[in-house]
Amino acid sequence: MIPDGELLRSRVLTALAPALSDVLNRRLDGYALLSSRSSLLGTDDESGVITFEAGVPVLAYHSGTDRGGPAALDDIGPPPYRFELYALDADALELPHRTDDLRVPPGAVAERLTDEPSLADRTRGLAGEVLDDRSEDTVEAFLEDEAAIDDIRQSAREEALDRADEWGFADAIED
Amino acid sequence: MVEAFAVASGKGGTGKTTSTVALGMALADRYDVTVVDADTGMANLLFHAGLADVETTLHDVLVKNGAPVEAATYDRFGMSVVPCGTSLSAFEAVDSGRLRDVVADLAADTDVLLLDSPATLNSKSAVLPIVLADRVVVVLNPTVPAISDGLKVQEYALSYGSDIAGTIFNRARGDIDDVAAKADRYFEGPALATVPESDAVQAARSAGEPLLAHAPDCPAAAAFRTAAGRLSPNEGDAADVAERFRTAVIPDPP
Repeated sequence: MIPDGELLRSRVLTALAPALSDVLNRRLDGYALLSSRSSLLGTDDESGVITFEAGVPVLAYHSGTDRGGPAALDDIGPPPYRFELYALDADALELPHRTDDLRVPPGAVAERLTDEPSLADRTRGLAGEVLDDRSEDTVEAFLEDEAAIDDIRQSAREEALDRADEWGFADAIED
Repeated sequence: MVEAFAVASGKGGTGKTTSTVALGMALADRYDVTVVDADTGMANLLFHAGLADVETTLHDVLVKNGAPVEAATYDRFGMSVVPCGTSLSAFEAVDSGRLRDVVADLAADTDVLLLDSPATLNSKSAVLPIVLADRVVVVLNPTVPAISDGLKVQEYALSYGSDIAGTIFNRARGDIDDVAAKADRYFEGPALATVPESDAVQAARSAGEPLLAHAPDCPAAAAFRTAAGRLSPNEGDAADVAERFRTAVIPDPP
């Protein structure tokens, strides 16, 4: 269901929080494979997968139990496990990310699989900024915040004018 | 020549190329339409128009001593289509400043020019189609990032002297009338249409056909026809418009 990405790193982890924090800081689009403890011992090949959009976890699935969403996080459980991180273009993830059954709330991975509630909070905060939150309430609340929208527009105008010289568009600017 | 439109959105995945091709097909009933893949870095118009296997693309036109644009122009689905190739090395050889001359050449021979623009504002080649166009169609999804990036596209366009033709809310799931009405307060130009999310869009792309050819009777296709009907291209003089493009701002070579 998810195309192969570019392997960024593969290592055995005893704590997941630093890896999740790194993914968040990089705003990574991609996915991680988390191989269970028994597979580290070579007794099975079950693994969990968590996808990321702009560093925020979006989907979770566990191949051993065939469960998705928050239930898959229970199946993945706490470390240690082998953590393989892959980069993948967001467009390639767009179709799998429409699978609502597998979605996890943005903070759920940090909440359930790490001891760092602050990471869960930080993830939720960034999710509000970057994720395609399709909840109508969220979008309407955004549109009702006139000051924030004016700020976006004003910043974009300033950015466009600043770049006009740099890009040779200065002649196009209307007085 | 009537008018040049850039079809733009600040982020990927909004269905910008689907919208460009759908508007083109709908307008082709009344006008001579040319659709150009101005997203030279991440081309995908060719996949939407059954042109995945063609040999000559806009990339071959935009290089030094390149092919004439006629060699990269294909008649498909009642439109003239100028696709871009997908090779990264070909993209790196491209002089995006030449796009201005290509647009001028094409403008002389067509009524409506639609420029499928890059889904980013982070380089001058990405912003160039917005600068060259008379008006910009902003493609939105009913999400915070898509609306926020659509606002940025609008402000760039207005800053560079291009008008806003209107907005299309694409990939709408269920009733988004409240969202569309609230967003409309911030966007120039009319709300052109709300296009429902549709499996037919993906099926059309897999088939290498425009949505309006693959599933002309689906609600999404009908919404795009409504949007096209509201665009009301301005009557203009062909020679004037071509000349305007030729004398438009000239970005420095990359």
